[in-house]
This record gives sequence, C-alpha cells and structure tokens, in this order.
Amino acid sequence: MAKKYEFDYDLIVIGSGAGGSAAANIIASEGKRVAIIEADTFGGESPNWSDVPTKALLHAANLYDEAIHGAKFGLRSSTLGYNYPSIRAWKDLAVKRTGAGNNRDYYEKQGINTFNGAAHFISPNEITVNRRHLSASNFLIATGSHWMIPEITGIDKIKYLTPRTILEEIRPPKSLMIVGGGESGVEIAQLMATFGTKVYLAEKTERLLPKCDSEAGELLARILTEQKGVSVLTQSRVVSIEKEGLGKRVIISRAGVEKSVRVDEILIAAGRMPNVDLGLENAGVKYSPAGIEVNDFLQTNVKHIFAAGDVLGRNGLTHNAILESRVVANNILHRNKVAPDYSATPEIIFTNPGIAVVGLSEDDCIKRDLQINKAVAPLNIIARSNTSDFRDGFVKIITDKKGVILGATIVCPHAGEMIHELALAVKYGLTATQVANTPHAFLSWSEAIRVAAGNISI
Amino acid sequence: MLLPAVVISSSHPEKVGKYNRARLRASVITACLSVCTPEGQAESTADAVCDDFEVWLRNKQEVTTRDIVIVSAKLLEKYHTEAAYIYEQRHIII
Repeated sequence: MAKKYEFDYDLIVIGSGAGGSAAANIIASEGKRVAIIEADTFGGESPNWSDVPTKALLHAANLYDEAIHGAKFGLRSSTLGYNYPSIRAWKDLAVKRTGAGNNRDYYEKQGINTFNGAAHFISPNEITVNRRHLSASNFLIATGSHWMIPEITGIDKIKYLTPRTILEEIRPPKSLMIVGGGESGVEIAQLMATFGTKVYLAEKTERLLPKCDSEAGELLARILTEQKGVSVLTQSRVVSIEKEGLGKRVIISRAGVEKSVRVDEILIAAGRMPNVDLGLENAGVKYSPAGIEVNDFLQTNVKHIFAAGDVLGRNGLTHNAILESRVVANNILHRNKVAPDYSATPEIIFTNPGIAVVGLSEDDCIKRDLQINKAVAPLNIIARSNTSDFRDGFVKIITDKKGVILGATIVCPHAGEMIHELALAVKYGLTATQVANTPHAFLSWSEAIRVAAGNISI
Repeated sequence: MLLPAVVISSSHPEKVGKYNRARLRASVITACLSVCTPEGQAESTADAVCDDFEVWLRNKQEVTTRDIVIVSAKLLEKYHTEAAYIYEQRHIII
C-alpha cells in the first residue's frame, strides 16, 4: 500500500484578506485543520487600508460637501468647518467596527492557527514562516497586491503617498498631484478636493476611468473640474519629480510639451501589482508579474495549490475575492468543482455622483464584435433630479439585438445601490422590456433605469 | 550588513547554511566572464547584483538555493542578459 504522507494541516491559507478568510472559515467549520498566515495586518487590505477607511472618509466628505452647498435649500451653512483629526478618528472607528480589521483573535476562536509573518514556499507541500516549517495537503494563495510604483525619474529620492498612506496623513495637503486617474485616483481626488486641497490628476490615457464607458470618465472629469476645481490632466505622463523646498516639482509631458507643477505632496495610484514573491518556483507554480495562472476552478498548475483574490491579477474587487475564496473552499471540499461566475459582478466607484458598472461596456462589445442596441437616460429627465437639484448623470443600458441586457453603466447619486437591479438582469438574461415593465417608484433615482430600458429599440 | 536568512539546499533540504555573498559574487563573475565580459565590468556587475539581491533578501527568513539562482538571474538580466542566461543554465550547459 502506498505510503500516506502526514501533513501539519489540511489547508494553509496565505493571506487573511477577502481572498483567504472565507475559505479558511468554511474549511475550518468542516472540522479540517487550517492555518492562516498574514504578512501584514490581519483582515487584509480592504477593511484596514482601502475600501472601508476610504469610504468612511468619503461619507464624511460628502456630508460636508452637501452641507456647504445647502444655502440654495435655505440652510445656513456659511460658517461650517471640519476637524480633520476627528474625521480620522471616525475613519478608525469605522475600521474597528467592521470586525474584519486586525481580526487575529477571531480566527483563533474558529480553531484556525494564525501566524504573522511572510510565508515562503520551500517545496510544493511546505512553507516557512518566521523560520518555522509548516506543511499542508492544500494551499490557498491569497496574498493580494500592492501599489505599483511607475518608473518616474527622481521618484526614489522623494517621499510619496499611496492611497494607503494618505489615509494616515495628519491633515489634507494644500496641493496634491495624483498619478493615475483610475478608481482610487478619482475617489481620492474628490475626497481631498472636498477638504480644500488643490488637486492635479494626471492620467496617461485620453480620459479618466479608462476601463469604464467613455461617457462616465468624461462626465466625472467635468464635475471634478467645474465643481471641485481639480485640474484634470488627461493624456499626460509624469516624466520626473524633484524636491523643491518643502514641496515637489513635477514635470508632466502632454502631447510632447513639457509643463511643470509645484505641489506639496504626490500620490501614486497607477495600478496594483500581485504579491507573488513567495518562493513559487520552489513549489513549481506557474506565474508572471501580472499574477498567478489558474484554471477555471482557481487551481494552479500544481493541483493542490489554489489562488484567489488580487494575486490572480484580475480586477481586484473585494466581492470577487470573497466569491473566489468560497469557490476554492468548495473545490477543496467537494469532488464536483465549480468555477466563479463574474458575468454580473458590479463595480462601484464611490464618488459623488457615484459610478456603477455591470456586465459588458460598449468598448467590450465592440472588441467582441457584438451587435448591440444601447439607450441612455440622462438624469435631468426624471422627477428626482428636480427635487434633489442634481442633474449630472445618466443611466446607460446595452442589450443584444434581441433586447437581452448585456451591461449597464450608471452615473448617479446612489448608483451603487441602483446597479444591483441591472446586475440581476444581466445574470438571469432579462430583457430591457421586462425591466421597463417592472414598476419603479416615482421620485426614486431608479426611474432613470426604467426610462433607459424603455428607450431600447429592438 | 547582517542578513538573517538561512539558505536551504533545494536538492538536499536537510542541508542548511548561511547566505554567502562572496559565493554569489563569484558565481555571477564566472557567468559574466564566460560571455567575454571585461573583468572590471564583471566585478561591478556582480557587486550590483549582490546589492540588489540583499535588498530582496532583507525581509526573508529562509530561502532555498533555487531562490538564489532564480532571483539573482532576474537581477542579472537587468545588467547583462547573456550572462543571466548562462548563470541560470550553468548546470546544464557543458
């Protein structure tokens, strides 16, 4: 009879963020021996350093912004101010209340062994952490990602901020150059501009939010410029940065012309890179700097090693990481393997107005050579835009030639709440007519969805 | 600089030792010289690779000999592509 190897654990999860925690909990609840290893703060990036603290700050910023613009509704708000240390204290409270931030004790109570340190594979079934060797029959790599630092001359000689470190600043800087006009870049641009920072936003492509439909990026650029005084510099590349007094001088190249701007701080939000420096070669796992290669069932080329979350180098959404983690738990526990379904995963940008996207964008459809119909309902045609005095936004729905909804983009207050109706439609193949025939409450923002769906011509 | 990393042999995991800069430097120099790099350039390249490698090693507690080869080869590629190839394949090139 073949010798059966004894391992310390049934599963070792490397990374305690969204990609690792769900699988660790599910598998531990089945009575298996599980260990979780975290190199940074337990809970991972989302509750500690990105989603939760940023959204807590944005909530405070939006309240402040609405209040200072309340004069037109008869509110006396001319003397309104803010205390940034108190706002930071609110952010810390929000992080603490999630229960997911710095939650090492939680895992211990679930019977999961925890280790704080960087894990490094030394063989396909063995890792080392703090010079302690641990073996397991299965591994889940959920090490997440880190902010990528682009090659800019002089960047190594100055102190720069990232969307993570700016949350710990004592006060908003007087002026800020943000490198990267993606989701994090625009959220922080709006946050800091609301608190009075002069923001410059440099993006290499021709519009902000290059992954979204063009209308969304263009509208947000206009809102940021007109309402917040942000200087949006599209098609601009930051060439070099140097220290100048207490601030920094940034040289930007735009259409071959170089311009310079002096700012107090620089924030790098030019995308994220998967954390793959954990001795994957020793385990024989195939990977590239763009992420770990997995099959449909999130299994690497080494059968007992799975990967989930940002380390795959996909879209880096927390809810996708949780979905992948659950899929991995199922695929470790059961013979009938399942694959994650990303077709109706919503993506939300928490600016004001919010931006929410689901399914295919118009660019995606063009790339796939799909025949589509589309309809756009501007917010100013619905009643709520009158009572809320807010008109900048739209709902755009894309369908195939039979009217089945393929994707949608919403730019609207509460877009993050509205998108799930269309996510349901994308997931279950509903037609625009079915959505249009569903009653939508008068004076809700969702009326714009009904109007857009009704405008689709088949 | 004190580097705490312990090096585990990839082929014989029971064999462990300390990271040895001189050994890494010598192997990089040999790879550079084997592709006709001038001696001075080979030495400065090896120093640069060792410095970069030690930056990578700084937050590691235990690494394997295989890690040293793979990471050094990647770092060497920045300075000398041909030498990096020779360095990585030196055990199978006769």
